[in-house]
Amino acid sequence: MIIRTEPRRRGRNALVSLAYFVVPLVVLVALWQLVTIYNPSPFFPPPIAIAQNLGFLLFGGSAVFTPVFYEDFLSTVGRMLLGYAIGAVWGVVIGTAMGLSRGARETVTPIVEFLRSIPATATLPLFIILLGGGDDMRVVFIAYGVSWFVLINTASGVGSIHKTMLDLGQVFRVHPVRRLFSIVLPAASPKIFAGLRIASTAALLLAIVSEFILASNGIGFQLIQAQGRFQLLNMWSWMLALAILGLIINFLLDFIEGRVLAWHRLSRAKI
Amino acid sequence: MTTTTSLPKVRSTALWRGIAGVVGLALILEFASRSGIVNPAFLPPFSAVLTKAVLLWGDPVFREDVLATLLSYVYGMLIAIVVAVPLGIFLGLFRPAYRASRAVVELVRPIPPVALVPLVLLLLGAGLEMKLVIVVFAAVWPIMFNTLYGVHDVDPYTKEMARSFGVTRLGVVRRIVLPAAAPFIMTGIRIASSITLIVVVTVELIAGGSQGIGSFISRERAYGDAESYLAVLAATVTAGLLGLVINLVIGWVERRFFGWDSTTRGGI
Repeated sequence: MIIRTEPRRRGRNALVSLAYFVVPLVVLVALWQLVTIYNPSPFFPPPIAIAQNLGFLLFGGSAVFTPVFYEDFLSTVGRMLLGYAIGAVWGVVIGTAMGLSRGARETVTPIVEFLRSIPATATLPLFIILLGGGDDMRVVFIAYGVSWFVLINTASGVGSIHKTMLDLGQVFRVHPVRRLFSIVLPAASPKIFAGLRIASTAALLLAIVSEFILASNGIGFQLIQAQGRFQLLNMWSWMLALAILGLIINFLLDFIEGRVLAWHRLSRAKI
Repeated sequence: MTTTTSLPKVRSTALWRGIAGVVGLALILEFASRSGIVNPAFLPPFSAVLTKAVLLWGDPVFREDVLATLLSYVYGMLIAIVVAVPLGIFLGLFRPAYRASRAVVELVRPIPPVALVPLVLLLLGAGLEMKLVIVVFAAVWPIMFNTLYGVHDVDPYTKEMARSFGVTRLGVVRRIVLPAAAPFIMTGIRIASSITLIVVVTVELIAGGSQGIGSFISRERAYGDAESYLAVLAATVTAGLLGLVINLVIGWVERRFFGWDSTTRGGI
């Protein structure tokens, strides 16, 4: 990725990249704005109005943040993060066990293959029946749906570690716990991260769906309420909020992955 | 018997262990329900769920729901492939177009597809079109991006060679770029496939009124008695079977036609 050019060229290149990024976006938003101003439609409010309305919804009160920000925005984010964390840990633990032990893998593979084939959202009614309609149900549901992506990738990552690496740890009598944390998990981390990435997109989706079906707060709840009351501007604003949230999650994962897997990219670049 | 011969990699111990795992779990679930550890009204015995899943096939309404889900899945995938593959090839071949569209794509892609449900529901009503719009929105990205990676991965010398042998630009796309990118496209289709099924069922679940397994589950849940809980569970199991069959078919297609390529082996 490092392009060696003269500093001036590089500066110009950066400028061109920026232009490529900003210009189409600005043109598109401006076009949308113009069309909606000259040809107003209740279904498609102007983009600036949507952004303003979102700002008003979240930061428009007397305090810095409105109650809506705490009640809905933060609730969704909190449930999503908690569910994601639990599901990721569970997925890594079970996935590692499956990857390391052939017996465990062969025993649970049919069950795992079947359970992960069930569209996660189809199990939501089941979770509601078993755990009720509270926040804990939503967190468990997100964790369940998220865990499969992490589990499958971890199992495949751990399973494909070169046998020599594992044997090396054994020969040098490295303590099993240390072997796990300094050989097995790092070697599988590129695959685990691939799973975590897919899972992050799923986490947001599952969080919203769980609020669509049954909730008293959250972004999904607000979205469905706005639709039910035909408040299209609010609806668009919450959709924008979800897009921004998705973007932030993506960016954060990129950043963490870049940090954690820097060694991996370097070692591959050499080959 | 035929299953063991057609899947050559399954060793017999793996088969027995797998069977033991499934039977073990079934027994635990059955016992938990029958002994009353878990309220049987909430978690009916496993055997009852299986029986119900079989019996449901006798119900023409349920059969139509399953068919509706399957059709939405197939249409959604086909439209997504038809849209995403040419788009991916175009963006892969023309760098300025790729750079110019990146900002918009990066902004639109992270939107959870289900967030569009309220809007599309208002615009199109709860029908097949509504489902397809959302499903295609969800399925296009993985296919498009994998096509794009595949096109970028094509050996440039091969393309130049074909050009110097007098192959037209379109011919190069058809004879060199498309076959070389095909395994990548297949990977994209596999990823999109599981997303598509999830989104189809989710949309059915949220937007009542339309047909499908999701609608069936949501209708039965609304009744709230023990018998309909059983139907909810049985429908969920059926959705899982549908997903499993789709996964197996796609896995088979991938191995059968793209087994020569290393990118298709292993992993998600």
